[in-house]
Amino acid sequence: MASNKKYWKSVEELNEDSTIVKALKDNEFVTEIPTDEFLGNKEVLETSSTTRRDFLKYVGFTTAAATLAACEGPVIKSIPYVVQPDEIVPGVANYYASTMADGFDFANILVKTREGRPIKIEKNDLAVNGGSVNARVHASVLSLYDKNRLTGPIVDGAEVNWAEFDTAVAQKLDGMAGKDVVLLTQTFASPSTSKLISEFTAKYPNVRHVIYDSVSCSGALDAFQNKYGTRALPDYDFSKADVIVSVGADFLGDWQGGSYSKGYAQGRIPKNGKISRHIQFEANLTLTGAKADKRVLATPSQQMQILKALTGGSASGLPENVVDAVNKAKAQLQKAGSKALLVTSLPDVESQTMALNFNANSEAMDVNKPLLTRQGSNSEVMNVVNGVVSGSIKGLITVGVNPVYSLPNNIEFAEAYQKLEMSLAFAMKQDETASLAKMVAATPHYLESWGDAQIKKGTYSLMQPTIRPLFNTRQFQDCLMQWTGKAPNYFDYIKENWTASILEGGSWNKALEAGVLASSAEMIMEEVKPAAEGAGAMEGSTSNGAFSALSQDGDYELTLYTSTGLGDGQQSNNPWLQEFPDPITRASWDNFLTVSAADAEALGLENYHVSNGALNGSYVNIAMGNVVLENVPVIIQPGQAKGSVGLALGYGKTAAIQEEMQTGVNAYPLYQNFSEVQKVNIEKAGGMHEFACVQLQSTMAGRSNEIIKETTLEIFNTKNISEWNAVPVVDYDHSPIEVRDKKADIWSPFDNTIGHHFNLSIDLNACTGCGACVIACHAENNVPVVGKEEVRKFRDMHWLRIDRYYSAGETFKEEIEKLENLPAFETFKTVEVPAYENPQVAFQPVMCQHCNHAPCETVCPVAATSHGRQGQNQMAYNRCVGTRYCANNCPYKVRRFNWFLYNENDEFDYNMNNDLGRMVLNPDVVVRSRGVMEKCSMCIQMTQKTILDAKRDGRAIKDGEFSTACSNACETGAMVFGDVNDDASEILKMKKDDRMYHLLESTGTKPNVFYQMIVKNTSEA
Amino acid sequence: MSSHYEAPIREPLVLGDKSYHDISVDVAAPVLGKASKSWWIVFTIALVAFLWGLGCIIYTISTGIGVWGLNKTIGWAWDITNFVWWVGIGHAGTLISAVLLLFRQKWRMAVNRSAEAMTIFAVVQAGLFPIIHMGRPWLAYWVLPIPNQFGSLWVNFNSPLLWDVFAISTYLSISLVFWWTGLLPDFAMIRDRTKSPFQKKIYGILSFGWSGRVKDWQRFEEVSLVLAGLATPLVLSVHTIVSFDFATSVVPGWHSTIYPPYFVAGAIFSGFAMVQTLLIIMRKVSHLESYITVLHIEYMNKVILLTGGIVTVAYAIEFFIGWYSGVPYENYTYLSFGAATGPYWWAFWALITCNFIVPLSLWVKSLRRNIMWTFFVALIINIGMWFERFDIIVVNISKDRLTSSWTMFQPTFVDIGTFMGTIGFFFVLFLLYARTFPVIAQAEVKTIMKTSGEAFKRLRAEHGDDHSHVQHVEQYPADAGPAANVEDKDFDSAFDDLTEEESENNEIDIELHRGKIENLLSRIGTYDPEVNKQDDLKKISGVGPVMEQKLHQLGIFTFEQVSRMTDREYDLLDEIISEFPGRAKRDDWAGQAQALKNKN
Repeated sequence: MASNKKYWKSVEELNEDSTIVKALKDNEFVTEIPTDEFLGNKEVLETSSTTRRDFLKYVGFTTAAATLAACEGPVIKSIPYVVQPDEIVPGVANYYASTMADGFDFANILVKTREGRPIKIEKNDLAVNGGSVNARVHASVLSLYDKNRLTGPIVDGAEVNWAEFDTAVAQKLDGMAGKDVVLLTQTFASPSTSKLISEFTAKYPNVRHVIYDSVSCSGALDAFQNKYGTRALPDYDFSKADVIVSVGADFLGDWQGGSYSKGYAQGRIPKNGKISRHIQFEANLTLTGAKADKRVLATPSQQMQILKALTGGSASGLPENVVDAVNKAKAQLQKAGSKALLVTSLPDVESQTMALNFNANSEAMDVNKPLLTRQGSNSEVMNVVNGVVSGSIKGLITVGVNPVYSLPNNIEFAEAYQKLEMSLAFAMKQDETASLAKMVAATPHYLESWGDAQIKKGTYSLMQPTIRPLFNTRQFQDCLMQWTGKAPNYFDYIKENWTASILEGGSWNKALEAGVLASSAEMIMEEVKPAAEGAGAMEGSTSNGAFSALSQDGDYELTLYTSTGLGDGQQSNNPWLQEFPDPITRASWDNFLTVSAADAEALGLENYHVSNGALNGSYVNIAMGNVVLENVPVIIQPGQAKGSVGLALGYGKTAAIQEEMQTGVNAYPLYQNFSEVQKVNIEKAGGMHEFACVQLQSTMAGRSNEIIKETTLEIFNTKNISEWNAVPVVDYDHSPIEVRDKKADIWSPFDNTIGHHFNLSIDLNACTGCGACVIACHAENNVPVVGKEEVRKFRDMHWLRIDRYYSAGETFKEEIEKLENLPAFETFKTVEVPAYENPQVAFQPVMCQHCNHAPCETVCPVAATSHGRQGQNQMAYNRCVGTRYCANNCPYKVRRFNWFLYNENDEFDYNMNNDLGRMVLNPDVVVRSRGVMEKCSMCIQMTQKTILDAKRDGRAIKDGEFSTACSNACETGAMVFGDVNDDASEILKMKKDDRMYHLLESTGTKPNVFYQMIVKNTSEA
Repeated sequence: MSSHYEAPIREPLVLGDKSYHDISVDVAAPVLGKASKSWWIVFTIALVAFLWGLGCIIYTISTGIGVWGLNKTIGWAWDITNFVWWVGIGHAGTLISAVLLLFRQKWRMAVNRSAEAMTIFAVVQAGLFPIIHMGRPWLAYWVLPIPNQFGSLWVNFNSPLLWDVFAISTYLSISLVFWWTGLLPDFAMIRDRTKSPFQKKIYGILSFGWSGRVKDWQRFEEVSLVLAGLATPLVLSVHTIVSFDFATSVVPGWHSTIYPPYFVAGAIFSGFAMVQTLLIIMRKVSHLESYITVLHIEYMNKVILLTGGIVTVAYAIEFFIGWYSGVPYENYTYLSFGAATGPYWWAFWALITCNFIVPLSLWVKSLRRNIMWTFFVALIINIGMWFERFDIIVVNISKDRLTSSWTMFQPTFVDIGTFMGTIGFFFVLFLLYARTFPVIAQAEVKTIMKTSGEAFKRLRAEHGDDHSHVQHVEQYPADAGPAANVEDKDFDSAFDDLTEEESENNEIDIELHRGKIENLLSRIGTYDPEVNKQDDLKKISGVGPVMEQKLHQLGIFTFEQVSRMTDREYDLLDEIISEFPGRAKRDDWAGQAQALKNKN
């Protein structure tokens, strides 16, 4: 409705003829705007310096400048696919089955790739006899992205292309006709490679193939070959053995290829009130010895006698306690009959034969389908070495081996090697051998290669590339194909071979997808020459075989071993493995001589903590004949047999190794006659070594009831649970109640009944401390490597660590008794120092316990760490301001602070500091910046993926679908992860298990991680 | 504040024959004068230390907390040790200014200004550490509950660190306001005394236009009381809350219900030690021995003895309960056998020696009053209290529940440099303060002159407690209080008159006035001690002790004599005693005397 209102501007409007009203009506501006005042005076305008043109120029310039400034921004290079590959969906991982076979580690694996980049290794669940996916295998993906790798073939020090290289090699090979040329390779255990090599040697008859295992199993191979005709290693299924007696064999470590922990763990989980009985006689403290029910100290020479005594000989001459132990072990072995198993690591043929004969009737030993992962023969290798040194061998082609580094007489050999007419090295890096070779063929990493393997007879597996070769490399087999003029490439060759026999009519694609195939087809392997007459005879060998070494002069018996982290040393340039703490000593970035406390005292060696808590240790010189290893750091090792010392092989590499990772001393010069046991002299050297040890307090100081619970099988079977797995009590109204009681809780609980609620169970009986989970966690969660200096400052970033405890008394139980009964001052001295003689040992993986009542959550001022609906304690890195209060308040000390910027920082020149190394990063997990707290997330990216996949598919999630990196990596099944709200889940069963307990339960944190206590079989009868 | 009675047996709080004017001059001297060489030397050292610390802080922030010696087990060490130490030191200031104000402890007046300054400067140092100890200090504002761009992100009110934020900021602001309020009349004094126009301007602004009106004083008193009331709970709350950082945690040795009271006592203990350290130096350097006396030092030593005793009892209880609980985790807490014999034995014994054994010497009176010894003990306590916090933080977390994580801590040069830097910063501030602020609350000290000043005490001792001087001086506007300082001429206060009279004009020249005196006495009558009784002439309004003395010299001893005075006698009297012309007449001494005589 139109308004009739009239608005007045002034009373003037009443006056109809007002000029003012008229003026207002006519003019927009009542008074004239004095434009002339500032524009009218042309003279002034002309004299002013700013003309209109200038003004427009300024406007134009500023607009342009502002526009330009706005255009500037960080340039991030990202190159899209020109043609999108069918199988790659950005953001979705692809898994490829493959096989690692580097001559030391053989394993069937799954390779996780993201956008075409392999980022993680996982075990292949389809593989039955697929070797061991250990820490090194998990870490091998990082070795792919090693910036020190060779980028192309080299002839006489100059990089060439492959065509030139082929010509050079062909010329050389032709020129070598009639001269003795040796093809020295690793063990491939590959049917196709075997065939190819025989074709190659057929073409060049002057070339003979010799297999060289840098860590030899020759004695066992010889023994097996003598008895069963095949050059192979017997396979053992430890789950079938009721009584296991090991004489020095670290079968949970790298003994004979080391793939036995899974079977062993099966037998160690109480089932129907039974577990196997494990007795270990050993000199070094090994993972296996740590897990044994009974561990008896014996030097290698004593072990020989023990083995004889166990297999029928006499035990006289041994110390009394050992005799007793031997007799009891013998009785138990006999009683167990076909369920007994005796294994030994003594390197001589005789000992191996004794064990082989003893086990002849054992159900646990499989001789029909033996392992093919070691093929080398000491005598053959010695022949080659002698030939090269003497000059009778004119040419040497090395593949996957590094003799200049790993031979005992490497210096002598290196000199001779340089004089060879032909020296061709197939190598991934410019290693010790390759750097001296005249021709170097750059080989790809196994994740860039095709291949096949027969780890165990009758079980075949395939290796497939998961990324296009990063550098101008060509694998050994393709080179052979090229040089023998065969089929176009190795892939076709394998496919041909497989189709011809192994597949037995099956689908190649299916086999490739599965990665493994059981086949009865006998693929003709290259005939491995039997050892020279006299079964593994070597120069100077006696009837005692390798024990000739022990006849040398020397006060100490040295046992050489391979460390869990570095193995034979192939992956020395892998920062994950360097930073991986040794499971026993928990020292990273080093190898060291392990010495018993008694011997250390006699030699004046010491280990002590400096004021920031870091470990320092004396140096020694180790002498063996003419060979002297100088300045070897010493760790005083509880449980080391008196008179024995231990040293890890695989360290001290320097060629093509980043400076930070040139750690430790090379122990191969002591590996005379390829015997792990040697006699040496030791003298103290000056100076102190700085160790980077992640655990300094070795005992639980009498707290095992709250940390690692343990009982014996007898008590477990006969006594009430409250006697061996009591829940801690607290006072409530002057009467004790269990901490699990709701009344003990001052907090209102979270509602965990809706949706998923994740729990993780860790069975301490099954955990062998192998550390595969540590590396898997490293890879999955982009955990930074911080370097030796920082580890020494106790700042390692491992989200998952494996604590190792020694008992202060004979057992953990005795330790508690000491704490309770001794007077105050004595207590501390007694319970803090491990029983150096022969302590009990226990491992405990510890990661964030994801407490339902988390002490960290309450104290964070900005609520950066808070509780998730699925039970996790979550960490919002972006919100964290870094007060570290949460870490202080964490009873489990699992929180890790980013003290520095660990990525793209030259101070931390590890994989996160170069473009190549960063390719391994998991794009699903953020790389943390400095100043924030981080910790285990229970692999929330993995559980969320599972949930979202199921949601997309519109299905319920089955038990077993949920997993974490660590539970996936655990071969022994010690780690079980799942949803406790799923009534059918395995994890719920584990939660209700009688052995279940929480770490530090009395603090009332109600963790979502729980442990299954240790049960030991102490029965002597 | 009104005057009060103080027993003569008490030692004076202001020594020497100080006049109000003297106080003004003494207090203003460091501000208006030139700095001494020693001041420059100390200031330079402090400044260098401060700059070095600043460098360390910049290095830390630009590189990462890793430049400190911390590790994955020990997430706090020197940073929070220093934080708690500095906060603790701050407590003495508030206790002195607030609690002692409420309890009307006059001796606080000489020390409260510096103690409060110390509080503020210490809290500034303390506040630095929670910020720089953060991994990402540029996000420090996230701990404030402010609306933000992150959606519903809010702080965690469960966290004791957040309580700290509130506690410390409240504490700092209240302390600052309280300090400033007390400074107003003193700033005004300096404003009025300075001849530099620049200083006049600055102090004019700082004194908020203080004019010395009665209303000013009334409001001043009221605000002081209100602030004291507000600040008193803070004395208890701040360190209680700081102790919650530890007490509410699950770390053995931290989780302790005794912490709040024990921390408060420890804070006062260390705070007084720091006050001693500072004031013993300052009284010497700034020539304030008359105001900060041995008595003050002894009083503070007594507080130290008390709070030190509380702390010691707390130690004993901690030790006993830890042991008695039988919990193995308690075996390694900072007060336990484990700590005493473990790798940190030296820190344990440093704590026991510095905080328990050495302060015991203060039970001996001669040591308590020995300035050098007090200084030494105060230094030891400062060190000991630092060790207490170090022990609580580092020793406790170095041996926590899971033995696999046990480790130790070693400071780096950055840890040490940062700490030294804060000490330097503290002294830079304190030295600047000593040169620019009235370091003694002169206005307040003036209020106790008559009760606690040595000269007045002596006077009273000579003339008895009943001998009133108040009536006399009240006649002068200058007597109203320290506002008398507003104008220069008023510095000649009543007290000055009195002393001058006593010292110079006390004796009347009897010979000169013999004729007049005889004339006067003939009119009003003579005094015969054997017949007449002497009256207390001071009862006459206008007759003070001095005047009485003069009248006595003239031979006037009774009301009878005075009551006979008329205008002529008054004139005669004025001629003889020339100082107060017309007073007797004005006050009608004769009338008063008549009345008093009749009363008798």
